[in-house]
Amino acid sequence: MALVVDALQATVGASEPWPDDVLLYQQYKVEQITLPDCAQCLAVEAFLRMCGLRFNVKCKTNAEEMSPSGKVPFIQAGQYLVSEFDPVVFFVGTKGFSLSRQMSDSERSEMRAYMSMLENILGNAELYMAWLNPEIANEVTKPRYGCSYPWPLNWLLAWRKQRAVKARLTANDWASKSVEEVSEEVHTCCLALSEKLDKKKYFFGDNPTELDALVYGHLYTLLTTKLPGGPFTSVIREFHNLGDFCKRVDSAYFSD
Amino acid sequence: MAAEKMKLDVWKGDWGLPSVDPHCLAVLAYCKYSGVPVEVNKTGNPWSSPTGNFPVLRHRGETYCKITDIFNYLRKEHWGSDFELSTKQSADVVAFSALLEEKLLPALLHLWWMDDKTFIDVTRPWYSRAIPFPLSLFLPGRTQKKAELRVNLTKGGENISEMETETKVYKEAKECLNLLSYKLGEKQYMFGRLPSSLDALVFGYLAPLLKAPLPNNQLHNHLLQCENLCRMVNDVLVTFFPADLREMEEKQKKEEQQRARTSSSENSEFPNRRRNMVLAGFFALSAMAVYAWTSGLIQIQISDLDPAPSPAPSTTRKAQAVKGEEN
Repeated sequence: MALVVDALQATVGASEPWPDDVLLYQQYKVEQITLPDCAQCLAVEAFLRMCGLRFNVKCKTNAEEMSPSGKVPFIQAGQYLVSEFDPVVFFVGTKGFSLSRQMSDSERSEMRAYMSMLENILGNAELYMAWLNPEIANEVTKPRYGCSYPWPLNWLLAWRKQRAVKARLTANDWASKSVEEVSEEVHTCCLALSEKLDKKKYFFGDNPTELDALVYGHLYTLLTTKLPGGPFTSVIREFHNLGDFCKRVDSAYFSD
Repeated sequence: MAAEKMKLDVWKGDWGLPSVDPHCLAVLAYCKYSGVPVEVNKTGNPWSSPTGNFPVLRHRGETYCKITDIFNYLRKEHWGSDFELSTKQSADVVAFSALLEEKLLPALLHLWWMDDKTFIDVTRPWYSRAIPFPLSLFLPGRTQKKAELRVNLTKGGENISEMETETKVYKEAKECLNLLSYKLGEKQYMFGRLPSSLDALVFGYLAPLLKAPLPNNQLHNHLLQCENLCRMVNDVLVTFFPADLREMEEKQKKEEQQRARTSSSENSEFPNRRRNMVLAGFFALSAMAVYAWTSGLIQIQISDLDPAPSPAPSTTRKAQAVKGEEN
């Protein structure tokens, strides 16, 4: 459905201005949301804030079921529902807002490559940690995921979700990795990000881009979520410039 | 160090490529770039492979099956030109490798294993010819199922139809080709004059797409428009794998010669045409004669004493009588 919406917006959406009543739907942050979803929601929120667009966050316990693609977060803008990071970026682009307009072609291709890396490595690592690590899955993720449902459902839905995540990670060869291997992947990813960021304010100079929003979403979530074991936090803390980067974005866009 | 040679098993090649599998091609290219002393075994029999797939690298009793493991191992053994790259460029290698895996690989899996036309016309015949008998019955099916799971589970979702997944996957792959094309620009390789592991991966993914006989595919057509990518793939083939190119040329020449010979003279197809015609005519005649004799149409009387009632008139009379009855 997201794709149909993509095609429609290219023609229809462009003529309409950014509506006043845009809502960003997600689950409750304190008691419900799981680690991978939290990273995605924060990334979209950071992106919209970086664009300087008006929107309100609306928390719903059934946000996942409301989303057209079955994944949080999604935004409601006028008559459109757009879910996940890439389609939201595209949708906002059709309204005339973009963070990467000034960039050259080769810079933009680098940006897309780093964004895929985040999705591929950090996204899968978050899923792996949250759902496949038995300790974290049983103590944190599953109780949180099922917290809004009564007894048999909370257990059943969480189990079904865990099975879906396991199937997905088996299909792309992540399920067979050990915790050490996953940590190694995360380390490689952070090393690359750290090299790319270097001493700059943002990844491509003085202005934020889509990549900055995505990096902030993932790293801030990983750094601030307390999990039993918490193996990635120490890996990310090795890279001081990434930690400073998160603080910088936090104070610039999330200070209210 | 070189006491024991590394052994590399890969899928065998076709269409002028040293191998048909993207990951095998990438490993082969990486070994060629860095001059690894490796013994390549091109095969179609995955019986000895622990995963039922290639590439497999064996060295000092250790076995590596996944491409990332193989690259890491080769790097650890100090093979490869990635050491010449700056730390920033190494970061780019990681990012772009992830881009390839995330955006291009699903489309290629879809193209080879899930697109009905390509699967039936190209993929399945090729693998069932390459793999020996009992394995060929179930290995292609298993690979297909794996590819389907991977594409549907990572790119699709509960609320997304198969058509939409397909559109999304191809859209992303085309975008990825554009991004690679921008990154390559006019340079010889991604990072200038020296090939890196990223170039090996790109070559591996793009070469089969460019060279395989695909029936009018959108991804193939899109790749043809990215001229610098095509140029790079062809350069790598000419520089590092000239033997396979020559092999294909020879094969083509042989096929052409054969075709020329057959079309120049029709006799070549049936060498003893006239003799066969005479023999067939003779056979038909004799068969008819035997039938006529056994059914009593022709009666042969042999009499030495009285030659007066000759057998010929009697035959005609009899035949006329039969005809009359029929009428």
